[in-house]
Amino acid sequence: MATPEISQVLLTEEQIRVRVRDLAAEIDRDYAGRALLMVTVLKGALYFLADLTRAMEIPLAIDFMAISSYRGGKGPSGAVRLIKDLDEDLTGRHVLLVEDIIDTGLTASYILRALQARDPADLAICTLLDKTARRIAHTLPIRYRGFEVPDLFLVGYGLDYRQFHRNLPYVGVIGDDFLRREPASS
Amino acid sequence: MGDRAILRFAHESEEELARILDFYGIRWEYEPRSFPLDWDEQGRVVESFSPDFYLPDFDLYIELTTLKQSLVTRKNRKLRRLRDLYPNVRVKMFYGRDFRNLLVKYDLHPSAAP
Repeated sequence: MATPEISQVLLTEEQIRVRVRDLAAEIDRDYAGRALLMVTVLKGALYFLADLTRAMEIPLAIDFMAISSYRGGKGPSGAVRLIKDLDEDLTGRHVLLVEDIIDTGLTASYILRALQARDPADLAICTLLDKTARRIAHTLPIRYRGFEVPDLFLVGYGLDYRQFHRNLPYVGVIGDDFLRREPASS
Repeated sequence: MGDRAILRFAHESEEELARILDFYGIRWEYEPRSFPLDWDEQGRVVESFSPDFYLPDFDLYIELTTLKQSLVTRKNRKLRRLRDLYPNVRVKMFYGRDFRNLLVKYDLHPSAAP
């Protein structure tokens, strides 16, 4: 591995490719005959959405949104907010929220509330990675999950550590030793 | 949501979690309930467990634990007892590493970890 902070590969490029193809087939079957809108939140699920949709055959539309990140005492306080809204109207549409990872579920929970308020016909979640160890929002409608993953700090295939490593073709683990040593950025 | 202006959190990590919950619009209450775990022969409560947070939207209690193994062991025992006595109560334990990694995810300094 070219990046020493990555202690192991959790999911190889091949494992991801096979699973994404299976998920695509499953979604194709379930949404056959319905116009599907796949929504994702920048930036983590970018690669997953791209590979998933290219493996699908049913007609579909894609759209993107972005939300502000929690910055603790370092940034402006207040509440999460949309910093890029969807272009598509959701009313009466079959909407699938595509996520790279569901961890605490707080982000997904916020986005679901925002999407639900726009009266879609149906709203569900497809997540590549499902990390349940720290789940707070345990009522999320996760209809498709790629892999259940342990409570490790994961990077690659869209997931970042301080905005880096998103472009790795595999999902790797940032080692505990590295996280303990590394000071926070200011 | 709790009113942090009048609350005194036992640890910095609890205040940080309260800020995270506020950010995502999740209602919370701080140590709203104490669960009796053991009684003496006179029926007096001799041991109880007060989880740090209750989230009414998810009907979920959250307890943050320290990185010290001896305290984790004691809390784990309490948590098992609570689950035995109150099987319908949903409690989530956040261990020191869980919370530290959560802070790293937000690019915050892990010193706030319990």
